[in-house]
Amino acid sequence: MQILVCIDDTDNIESRGTGELAEMIRRSMEEKGWGKTQHVTRHQLLLHPDIPYTSHNSSMCFQAEIEAALLPHVISYAEAFLARECQQEADPGLCVLAVDGLTEQAKRTVINFGYKAKKTVLTKAEAYDLANQLEIHLSEHGGTGQGVIGALAGAGLRLSNNDGWFKGDHKVGRQGEAMTVQRLLSFSAIDQVKSVNGACLPENDYVVIGNKLKTVLLEGKAVILVYPEDLGNGDFIWKTCEKKQLREYEAKMNCVADK
Amino acid sequence: MWQINEKNEKEFLGGKTAWDMAAEIAEACAAFSLDVEEELIAEEEVSCYNCRYRRWTAETFVCLKK
Repeated sequence: MQILVCIDDTDNIESRGTGELAEMIRRSMEEKGWGKTQHVTRHQLLLHPDIPYTSHNSSMCFQAEIEAALLPHVISYAEAFLARECQQEADPGLCVLAVDGLTEQAKRTVINFGYKAKKTVLTKAEAYDLANQLEIHLSEHGGTGQGVIGALAGAGLRLSNNDGWFKGDHKVGRQGEAMTVQRLLSFSAIDQVKSVNGACLPENDYVVIGNKLKTVLLEGKAVILVYPEDLGNGDFIWKTCEKKQLREYEAKMNCVADK
Repeated sequence: MWQINEKNEKEFLGGKTAWDMAAEIAEACAAFSLDVEEELIAEEEVSCYNCRYRRWTAETFVCLKK
C-alpha cells in the first residue's frame, strides 16, 4: 500500500529541522526493510501572525510503499520517534495517510485542505474532523499539538503531486557547466527537466547548471526547473532556476491553484 | 533597514527580495547562523534570508536575535 508520512512543528530555533527528522524516519523505514520510500518534500504553509510557527511554517512529507500489515508499526515507530526527538517548545503533529484507502473525492478533500492551509488560518478541530471522517491517522506529540494542522495539510499537498520542493540539492556537474537534458536525467532522483513555462525539454537540449540544483514536485515527478536566458542575439540558453526563482514559481503556482 | 513592529520585534524593511541588503547585513552580523538546507532561499549563503534567526512573516521577516 502507498502511504504518505508527514510531520510538522517539531523543532525550535536552535534544533535540528523538521526536514531532518522526516529524513531520519524515512531512512529508518528503509533500514528496517519496511518498504520503499521516496524523498522528502517541503511544503510551505501560510505565514500569519495567528499561526505559532517557529520560523517558516513548512511541513515535511514523504511517500512510502509498504505492506498493509506494517501500517500500525510505521505509525507506532513515527509516534515514538517524535516523542523522543521533538523539542520541548515544539507542538509536533504526525499524519500517516493510506493513499489506497481514499476515494477520489476523499483525495480531493485532503488536497483542498492542504491548499486551504496556504491561504487561511485553520484549526486543530478542522484537521481532526477531516482526519476522523476519512480515517487518516493524525496525532499530536507535545505542546499544543498545533502541528497536526500542518501535518495533514502537508500530506494533502504531497498528495496533490504539484507542490513543494525536495529536501536536499543534487551534486551534478560544476556551476556554469553545460549539460544535456539526457545527462541530467541519468542522475537518480531527477525525473524531468521543464521550463518555468511548463514545456518539457527534449533530451538533446543543453542546460547550464546553477549554484544549487533543486527539484520541485510537479505532476508527481522530481523536476529540475529551467528558464531561458536571453543571449542578446535573438538566441537563448537554458539555465537552472535558483532558489529565489523556485520561490517565485511556487508563489505563481499557488495563485493558479487559487483560481 | 529595520523597524520595531507592534509586537516589539525587529522587522526587516526590505521585504522578501532585497537580496543585496540582506546579504550585506548578514555579513556584518556576529549572530548569523545558517539555517537548514531546505529553508535556504538566497544564493548568497551568508544572508539574513538564510539565517535560522529570521522568522518569516507575510511581507518580510523579523530577526529573533536581540
